[in-house]
Amino acid sequence: MNLLLRVVSLIALLSGPLMAEPLHYDLDPTRSRVGFVATFGSDRITGTIPIATAEVQLDFDRAASSFVRVVLDATGARASFPFATQAMTGPKVLAVSQFPTLTFESRSLAVGTTSATLTGDLTIRGVTRPVMLEAQVFRQRGTQAGDRSRMSVRLNGTVRRSEFGATGWADMVGDVVELDILVRIDQIRG
Amino acid sequence: MAAYNNDAGFGWVTRGLHWLMALALIAMLVFGTYLAGMEPALDRLWMYGAHKTVGFTLLVLSMLRIGWHAWSPPPGPIPDLAVWQLRLSRAVQRSFYALMLALPLSGWVASSATGIDTVLFNRWVLPPIAPVSEQWESVGFIVHGALGKLLALLVIVHVVGAFWHRNGTLRRMLFGHRKL
Repeated sequence: MNLLLRVVSLIALLSGPLMAEPLHYDLDPTRSRVGFVATFGSDRITGTIPIATAEVQLDFDRAASSFVRVVLDATGARASFPFATQAMTGPKVLAVSQFPTLTFESRSLAVGTTSATLTGDLTIRGVTRPVMLEAQVFRQRGTQAGDRSRMSVRLNGTVRRSEFGATGWADMVGDVVELDILVRIDQIRG
Repeated sequence: MAAYNNDAGFGWVTRGLHWLMALALIAMLVFGTYLAGMEPALDRLWMYGAHKTVGFTLLVLSMLRIGWHAWSPPPGPIPDLAVWQLRLSRAVQRSFYALMLALPLSGWVASSATGIDTVLFNRWVLPPIAPVSEQWESVGFIVHGALGKLLALLVIVHVVGAFWHRNGTLRRMLFGHRKL
């Protein structure tokens, strides 16, 4: 019994500093999505781009240690109607045959009182530009308070597609594209 | 009412094709001009498909018409025209046929170059006839627009010519023969 208590105490001691380490997460691709909205005349085009891979590291004690890298599969991008999907994936916008992925890699995370700002580099058509995304991190439904094993990260922001050379159909489709990204992640154990 | 053309006049096939295509071409010239300046909207997307569908149908009808006239040659011009009028009439007629082929083909080239499917009747996808390229697209649409304006000019010359000569040319195309 005495030995068992010692072992438990040792585990508790070791686990203390371990809990302060950044937590690493795996993407749940089926429940994650990258949505976008752009104007089309007086209407709006909506669509999604599938997430190919994501590396997420969250440090709840030191936000600066958090890190997000998301790779999107541009070839799977879909807009709300087929005409727009072809235009978007074609050479004048995403040029997916030449640039099959889009990537976002964070550089810093500034935490405010009610939200956080994630700054990073977005690469579209091989052109990398800095972007700022508003970030919100939630526990997923069904988890207990303090349980950080299953999280949802929501990122919102806008990009100007012309800055990436995606200038096609400028007479029909607006330059500003709103992003609404929801990433559901599961903590990597062990 | 004969289907075939003869020396005296046009059969109903030629006349039917003439009037059907005349109406469709004029409508397409107006429609195309409207499309070029139209504010884009989701509920107007069908118009692009309609323009391509009618344009391709006109291309097929043009080829049928050329084939039909090879099979059943139309009568020559009414022989009371001055030489210059005869030459102008022939030039306009030949230009019409060239444009009836070139106009839809240039639209098909330009559409193919955009990388977006050319869909007919909201169902069938035409194969592309040009590489996906901004240069091809840009030149294709410039040519398409210019040919459309040229066709509009020819329509005016043709209609003015038909009404100017009260020699039975218009009657022959309406009823088949110069005199009832």
